[in-house]
Amino acid sequence: MVVINMVPVTRFRSAPNFMRLGYETGNLLIYVFLTNRTTKASCKDVNTQKFPLLQLQVMLETNRIDSKQPIDLCTLCNTGLVSIKPASMEFGFQLTDEGADKFKSKICIEVQHAKESVIAAIERNGGIIRTAYYDPRSLHVIKNPEKWFEKGVPIPKRLLPPQDAIGYYTSAENRGYLADPEEISKHRLVLAQKYGYDLPKIEDDPDYEMLTSMKDARQLFYGLEPGWVISLKDQTIIKPKECTQ
Amino acid sequence: MSLYLRTGNKYNLSHIYNFCRYCTTSEVITQNDQAIVEDDSLAREAEIQQKRNKSGLTKAHFNLVNGRRPYEVPKALAHLTVKYSRKMYGQYGSASGINPSLCWPSMSDIQEAKEYETVAFPYTIKEMMEQVAKQREEKKLKILQRDAEVAAKFEKLEQWKKELNDKINKKCEETRAAKEKKERLVEEVRRHFGFKLDPRDERFQEMLAKREKEQKKLEKQARKEAREKQLIAKLQQKSAEIADKS
Repeated sequence: MVVINMVPVTRFRSAPNFMRLGYETGNLLIYVFLTNRTTKASCKDVNTQKFPLLQLQVMLETNRIDSKQPIDLCTLCNTGLVSIKPASMEFGFQLTDEGADKFKSKICIEVQHAKESVIAAIERNGGIIRTAYYDPRSLHVIKNPEKWFEKGVPIPKRLLPPQDAIGYYTSAENRGYLADPEEISKHRLVLAQKYGYDLPKIEDDPDYEMLTSMKDARQLFYGLEPGWVISLKDQTIIKPKECTQ
Repeated sequence: MSLYLRTGNKYNLSHIYNFCRYCTTSEVITQNDQAIVEDDSLAREAEIQQKRNKSGLTKAHFNLVNGRRPYEVPKALAHLTVKYSRKMYGQYGSASGINPSLCWPSMSDIQEAKEYETVAFPYTIKEMMEQVAKQREEKKLKILQRDAEVAAKFEKLEQWKKELNDKINKKCEETRAAKEKKERLVEEVRRHFGFKLDPRDERFQEMLAKREKEQKKLEKQARKEAREKQLIAKLQQKSAEIADKS
């Protein structure tokens, strides 16, 4: 830790001109550094970036995000408007319920944390929401896939959540990606009754295929498996013959 | 077949020659007689191209600008590393001339990674979920136990309060009784002497001691009598019971 030292800046032997309180010659300020930082994966409220539903709605309506494709962290980062800092212990996005009443898009979205009201808002419109965990290395991969593919390294596999976060991601109430799908459908009904809306039937939906496309627990990208090398220049996927991972 | 440069960034030009041998690149096209005829025109073309290139850029930069890999021939130690080769493949694809098999980790790497995983992530999902469930149960149990404890203590609360108050009162009473007794004795002695005498005076003290003794005697007598009475009462009761039974 840097020692905070008030050094008088004297230039022309005039009266000393101290630096402002807390200034550490350009370092990240201690009172900024210490607010709301936690390394625990379970403290979702603190270490995920807030992403209001309102902003999501705006993005969908202005065609920044295609609602006909499943949305995940990759999509959100690719818009260029939001980004994640995995090095600062951020674990992803957290959908907040600001604009939950005005939300009217049918989407399949995957975030890292979502409140009950948010889940209700999305499911009310016939969409599907899941909460998924990405470990910090996977976050680096996913937030800028182009940059990653240029490394020429095979796609890594996603790690499981740590002990303190696994409770969240295996519970159907939070629509965790490791939860039992039957439990999830049960909880969808429960939520619909709690918030007082009719649960739209996803099976009858023409977009059923898209809505129910879920990533495997070890998968990072839709349609791409870990262990594949992607060559963007040649537009090819190279798969290993024998299992490497 | 891949190379691992264990030393980080300590580039030493003498190393370059050692490591050159292990670099995996595509096979170099061997020139045969047929190519010699074309070689001349090729050379001329190359010369013309060189003259056309007025950019003043270095060869590497010129390649970069035209979307080719910057160095065809390794110039630094870094160019021989596996990481660099992978990066070249990632950026330029098959045009980089690198064998794609370099991109995957070697068998030893895989073994190491597997070992690491067994240590770093020893539990399966199921085990972790069980642990979470167990923790939750333990928490609940703890709360229930504490609640039961507190409830039990709550029932006794009134009784404890009463006991405490009684104790305090008793103590108060005792001190008060002692004080009163003292006062009474002092008063008696004063009356006996008739005039105002300092309680600390010797005569006062003697008188006080005498009076205390007498008082003690009286009390003892009273206690004895009380015990005798109790005994008699008990005997009477017993005899009454016997009489009833028979």
